Amino acid sequence: MSEAPTPSSLTTVQVHQQLGALTRQLHDSLNGLGLAEKVKDWAGELPDAKSRLSYIARLTGQAAEKVLNQVDQAKAQHDHIAAETRRIGELIVKDPVAAVAKGHVMNFITDVEQASKKVDDHLTEIMMAQDFHDLTGQVIAKVVTLAATIEEQLVLLLLQTAPADAKVNAPSGQEYVPALAGPVVDGQANQDVVTDQSQVDDLLASLGF
Amino acid sequence: MSKELRFLIVDDFSTMRRIVRNLLKESGYADADEAEDGVAALQKLRNSSFDFVVSDINMPNMNGFQLLAEIKKDDKLKHLPVLMVTAEARKEDIVLAAQQGAAGYIVKPFTKATLEDKVNHILTKMGLK
Repeated sequence: MSEAPTPSSLTTVQVHQQLGALTRQLHDSLNGLGLAEKVKDWAGELPDAKSRLSYIARLTGQAAEKVLNQVDQAKAQHDHIAAETRRIGELIVKDPVAAVAKGHVMNFITDVEQASKKVDDHLTEIMMAQDFHDLTGQVIAKVVTLAATIEEQLVLLLLQTAPADAKVNAPSGQEYVPALAGPVVDGQANQDVVTDQSQVDDLLASLGF
Repeated sequence: MSKELRFLIVDDFSTMRRIVRNLLKESGYADADEAEDGVAALQKLRNSSFDFVVSDINMPNMNGFQLLAEIKKDDKLKHLPVLMVTAEARKEDIVLAAQQGAAGYIVKPFTKATLEDKVNHILTKMGLK
């Protein structure tokens, strides 16, 4: 009886033969388990998962950038209010009657009102930027579901192809059922989706809304 | 009159519920309650009085389409305007929402102006503003 060849003693032809045998075994196993079609589906979904992860990175980056910009602008407004408050305070201390009579106090009040409105607008924008939590959360849930499905099916494949004495019962995997599409991660590549609110409005208008 | 209207905001993400609630408040609609999915929303709608529903679509337990269908087949609720605010941007979803009786459709991400415009437009159309 001949000994099994060690890796170093394998010829190129033998390596190719073994790879071929493994590939055939994998192919037969996938077919036997009815997984061939699923693997095709995964192959199609993995690039989608990649673009979804890119979408998350892009959206979180944009949100962070937006928040920081709005904070910068709000702080500038706040600094302006603080400086003007100090200035009007000095004028009032120096000559309260003149400060009122010359309109400094009234101008200050108008100025503060306008600056406060701008600060409020920046705060609203900061709040709106938090919508990334909802949008990325939905996308992450889809990628997690895909990863869990692939893991389940790979475990099933492993269990089904393991030697008889090593076999254990496979956990019953749940069928992956794609739900609603979720956020559009690449609108340009899909003509079946809208990419902004004006397209929604146009579509609804064409339906008589 | 419109300032007294009561809104129900339905979304599984608390962040989005807070955003919509704050935006409505800034637009003058301070009376609002929240529900995290269609099931909770239906329960609140049947146990309390509301004038306007702002609903997400993709939610667990009962999604926005199912909620819309339940509202429209309930004699006591079917008059309620339902504004869908969702990340679902497929044309077929927008058409389906319109066919099921949604009063409006907003895709996320949206702006404060968009929400305000749609709410005011719907209220005006219904004679509530």
